[in-house]
Amino acid sequence: MLENLIWGYVYPNESEIQWSILIVLYPYITGLVAGAFIASSLYHVFGKKEIKPVARFALLTALSFLLVAMLPLLVHLGRPERGIEIMFTPHLTSAMSGFGYIFSFYLTIVVLEIWLSFREDIVNKALSSHGWKELLYSSLALFSFDISEKALHDDEKFARKLAIIGIPSAAFLHGYVGFIFGGIKANPWWSTPLMPIIFLMSAIVSGIALLILLYIAAMKIRKHVIDHKCLQSLAHYLWIFLILDVTLELLEIVSMKYASREDIDIINRLLSDKIGFTFYGVQLTLGIFIPFVLLLMVSLMKNRETLKLYMISISSIFVVIGVFAMRWNVVIGGQEISKSLSGTLTYVPVFFSQEGVLPALIIFILPFIILLVVTSILPPWKDMEEEPS
Amino acid sequence: MDITRRDFTKIGCKIIISAASGTAIVQSMFTKGIAAENPPENGGYDWEKHFWGYVVDTRKCIGCGRCANACKMENKVPFDEEVYRTWIERYRVKKTINETFEEEVVIDSPDGGIEGFVDDIPAEEVKKAFYVPKICNHCDNAPCVQVCPVGATYETKDGVVLVDYEYCIGCRYCIQGCPYGARYFNTEKGTADKCTWCYHRITKGLLPACVQACPTGARKFGDLKDNKSEVKKIMDEERITLLKPDLGTKPKVFYIGLDREVK
Amino acid sequence: MQPHLKRAFTILALIIIAFIFVRSLVVPESFGQYGWYRGDSVKEIRNLTVNYRGSASCGEENCHENIYTVWAKDRHKTVNCETCHGPAQKHVLDAREPLMPANDSRDYCGKCHFKRISRPEAFPQIDPGAHGEDLRCVYCHNPHKPWFD
Repeated sequence: MLENLIWGYVYPNESEIQWSILIVLYPYITGLVAGAFIASSLYHVFGKKEIKPVARFALLTALSFLLVAMLPLLVHLGRPERGIEIMFTPHLTSAMSGFGYIFSFYLTIVVLEIWLSFREDIVNKALSSHGWKELLYSSLALFSFDISEKALHDDEKFARKLAIIGIPSAAFLHGYVGFIFGGIKANPWWSTPLMPIIFLMSAIVSGIALLILLYIAAMKIRKHVIDHKCLQSLAHYLWIFLILDVTLELLEIVSMKYASREDIDIINRLLSDKIGFTFYGVQLTLGIFIPFVLLLMVSLMKNRETLKLYMISISSIFVVIGVFAMRWNVVIGGQEISKSLSGTLTYVPVFFSQEGVLPALIIFILPFIILLVVTSILPPWKDMEEEPS
Repeated sequence: MDITRRDFTKIGCKIIISAASGTAIVQSMFTKGIAAENPPENGGYDWEKHFWGYVVDTRKCIGCGRCANACKMENKVPFDEEVYRTWIERYRVKKTINETFEEEVVIDSPDGGIEGFVDDIPAEEVKKAFYVPKICNHCDNAPCVQVCPVGATYETKDGVVLVDYEYCIGCRYCIQGCPYGARYFNTEKGTADKCTWCYHRITKGLLPACVQACPTGARKFGDLKDNKSEVKKIMDEERITLLKPDLGTKPKVFYIGLDREVK
Repeated sequence: MQPHLKRAFTILALIIIAFIFVRSLVVPESFGQYGWYRGDSVKEIRNLTVNYRGSASCGEENCHENIYTVWAKDRHKTVNCETCHGPAQKHVLDAREPLMPANDSRDYCGKCHFKRISRPEAFPQIDPGAHGEDLRCVYCHNPHKPWFD
């Protein structure tokens, strides 16, 4: 059995894959966060009015995923109880050490942004409800009930400033995740300066696609008509970021093959024997080229809203799967080549174990449950269900 | 000057909070950041006076595996797990059969070479064969130290890269960062682990267990600050190579007689 | 600034102060003593138990002086006592602590001396099929003085 999993020579200590499916999930989830946040700032910062129906919903989505983003890391640690040391004594030469602070900073911005954009609703609810609900909403309003026009206007101005800080920090949060891999010179499959920007682009792509899917799902569940203008605008941005994403991903692989350094043999073997299907098949074809063509057709077609809706949904599903495959190919693929550069390993996922598929599934379902809870406390539906003017 | 009671409590609170947080900030920023003047003195060992180095003469290695065996015994590395602080690789370059002149090289290290090696390729098919002992390079510019997010691995003043088992969070980033595969995950402790050059021995004047166990002198250990040490002499007189020098890790394990196949 | 923002920032400030306070309590005293790590860990690692004592202490007076002298003059002087006899630190500290029995099997000698293609040719090796008729090597060769006079 073991003989089939290992080809060539791998260092004796490499017989086990150290970073499992949980570490695949981690950049995937932070990517969804960054993408959803950037989608919302298309409205909040760049004033794209078409996005308004989903702008606040996107913020709540970002928050729900952000809250679980650190879970896969924590579960994966050998000593989870010591995890907080990354906040107490961050070793600044490590790309990973910034995690705690960047995460906290970004969480603060997202929470403040949500709070400000929902404050009017919160105060109204606090004033109109009784009992524990009154207490809940009053404390959410921090017992300050000023919703005069001036106050709201100031809030909006401040929220906009926050969103402006939010974009670079979202980009930083995720670009830095890319750097965790890109900065490892020991691993030829990871070590490229393009890694942060590739991670960022695929993050935006996956976040917008997720937002599209959640929006369609929410409207179907609430039995409300979909605002096609908003949807197609999102699809349009998805398409643009897909182009950037595919350009960078191809640039990486082409320059690797063209430069043909010492490690090219093992990279070629990785791409042909190990992750050939998930890389060429899922990540590039299913995750990028098919959605790219479908979305191109959507933008060229006139009317036929139902067909477009299907095409956008299918593209979004493919993109979300494709970006997961991309994370898989980076995290698992990079570990399937030996640093001896003369052998490969195979990752076999386990279902029941601390680092198995089961905890990964639980962690991935969690943000959807959180989103359900958050949207019941702070319903964003009003924006979505306004009749498009 | 009138100070109402309310003002008084307000001011009091402010003073208490700022005093408490102020000292805390000052404490955390300074007292813990000041480098100590005096290194730890323990049994007369002064780490400022040493800088350790390691030489591997691959031409002398007979692949008996006593080093890797002694290492596991000395450092209580589990024998039933595939984890090694040091190991021996065997390289066998086969005779060229096809016309492309591409060499087929068979590299292996069964159980890290702990139990020695058995010839499983007929001698007449092999044109060149040799062993290469491997060990943590205790890099002077160690990528594992660089990537540790919490400061749980470090290079001592005498040039040994160690893991703090009481502080390591077990994220395994260092294992990914090591280009030599020298680090492993200690499942019992839940932390990263690696060769210490037997720091508990060398600070007491003993040799690392692997060096002591080597019957042919393929492994040598010594003080680079001591001009009379054998390691320093070899450094000064022999032609030595490093593993993966292009990565700029500045290894302190120096090789004699390395073949181009060795990575 | 509006009161609700003031309150929000006060909460934020309190969280940060609490964090700094907890940090100052939790971070180990010796952290940063010599560098960005816990200084005490150097001591901890230095104090780990030694298992292999080294051959020199075997040859001390009134212990194994005789066999030590024989061994130290012969070709196997490069093979540490503990390579065959096992880790001896406990035995050195307390002579009543028994050592593991020395491994004197044919295969154990063979780890160094069976013919292997990858070994340096000059190193003494035997063809296990042709030499010694599967007898234990120590039947003819004294491991402390392997060459006949």
